[in-house]
Order: sequence, then C-alpha cells, then structure tokens
Amino acid sequence: MRPFIITIAAIALAGPAGCKADPPGKLETKTITYAKHHIFIGNKKQKNPLPDTTQTWADGKEAFSHYCVACHGMDGQNTGVPFVEHMSPPIPSLASNDVQRYTDGQLKWILDNGIRPSGMPGSKGTLDDDELWSIIVFLRHLPLAGSRGVPDMYTH
Amino acid sequence: MKKKFLLMVLFVGIVTAAVLSSRVARAQGAPRRIEVTAKRFAFEPGEITLKKGQPVVLVLKSADVAHGLRFRELNLNVKVAKGGTAELSFTPDKTGDFVGHCSVFCGSGHGGMTLTLHVVD
Repeated sequence: MRPFIITIAAIALAGPAGCKADPPGKLETKTITYAKHHIFIGNKKQKNPLPDTTQTWADGKEAFSHYCVACHGMDGQNTGVPFVEHMSPPIPSLASNDVQRYTDGQLKWILDNGIRPSGMPGSKGTLDDDELWSIIVFLRHLPLAGSRGVPDMYTH
Repeated sequence: MKKKFLLMVLFVGIVTAAVLSSRVARAQGAPRRIEVTAKRFAFEPGEITLKKGQPVVLVLKSADVAHGLRFRELNLNVKVAKGGTAELSFTPDKTGDFVGHCSVFCGSGHGGMTLTLHVVD
C-alpha cells in the first residue's frame, strides 16, 4: 500500500513541475528539431505558386500583420514580444537557420496545420491560400530585426 | 401651309428619333449593376455569372465589419468600410471561373470567404 501512495504523491508533485515552461534541454531541442525537419513536417516538394515579387512580398507583409505579429513581432524576429523569453519551446526567430531551412512547401504545411505542442496555430481557413503563400515570400525576405518597431498591441 | 406643316412634322419626327435612339444607346452601354453583401464569413450571392465584354459594377455592401473583395487573376481589388458601400467597375475580358477572396482580415473564417465569377461568352 505504502509504495502505491508514494507513487501517487510523486506523480502529484512531479506533475506541476513537469508542466513548467522551463527552457528545453539541448538534447530535447536537437531531437525535436531533427524530427520536425525530417519526419513530422511534410509537403517538402510543393512549390510556391506565387511569384517572388515586391507586390507578393507586400501582400505577405500585410497578411502577416493580422495576427502572426502577436508572437513573431512585426519583423518575424520577435521584436517587442513581451513573453518571448517565457515560452517553452521558445518562439524561434523566423530569420533563423532552423526556420529558413524548411522548404516553401514545409512552411506552407506549418502555416496550414500549426505545430503541436509549440503554441503555433494552424491558419488554414483563417487566411486563404494566396495569403499564406504570400506570407512565405515575406518570410524569405524579412526586414532587418527591429526595423519595423513593436506590434501596436504591445505599445499601450 | 401644307408644306410648312409637313416640314414641322418631319422636324418633330427627326428630333424624337434622335432622343429615343440616344436613350436606347445609353441603356445598351450602361454597365450591369450587381449588389453583393459581405458579411462574416460569406458573400451573398456567392456566385455570379457575367458575360465577357459586358461592363459590370459590383456594388459591395458590408453588413458588419470592414471587408474587401480581390480577384488576383483579374487584378481587381476593392475594400469596403464597416457598414459601408463600395463599387468595383470592370469589363471581363476573358472567360472562365475566377475566385475572389475577402481582402481585409475579418476574423476566424476570413480565409474561406469567397465569391466565384463565372465569365461566359
């Protein structure tokens, strides 16, 4: 009986600690990053149907500003996002190599479906396909970090 | 006297014919006006059939928040303010089906808010 109670108590104590948004360790980060790139996130081969033009980039910038900025900042590099240090896993800079290494098709998959349990939501239906593809063009040519200021929602 | 009367009748006839023909011409060239209501998260009607070469005006009315209507393939875009009205004038120059999307973010169903134009000969 005693071991059973101890086990229950241990689970009860470990539970909250296990939910804490502590930064992931190096091994966890490396394993998950590898798994995302090579196993979980599909659609590697799909090409962006939109041309890589100034107009598409501007469309992407506008679509990105609807709600992506809440977590990724106006520049896609988390500028001015107050909780960026407190998320686990952390919010990646979209200019980072880990993100830029995804193919356009994989980025579309992520925008469509989100990534569990990172907090990244799927946007299929909330934004249309053209808007999502134009965001990918914007992601490929992000503005300089900090150059677009802080999202409006965090300035008052 | 009779000659004067005939000239008068002829004159009135010519003037009447000119006025009528100009009205007919104006009616034939007048663009077709179609009212479209935009309301989260649909356009009403959701499909419209147009004739290629026939000028048209889409009168977009918002029944709630700000919306837009963009046909990327046709290079057309119009935005309408909350509760407002805006017009999109154009003449379709190619046949086919063209899907327009709401171009002003309006909430969770924004991405599925579409209007299809069927342009026929």
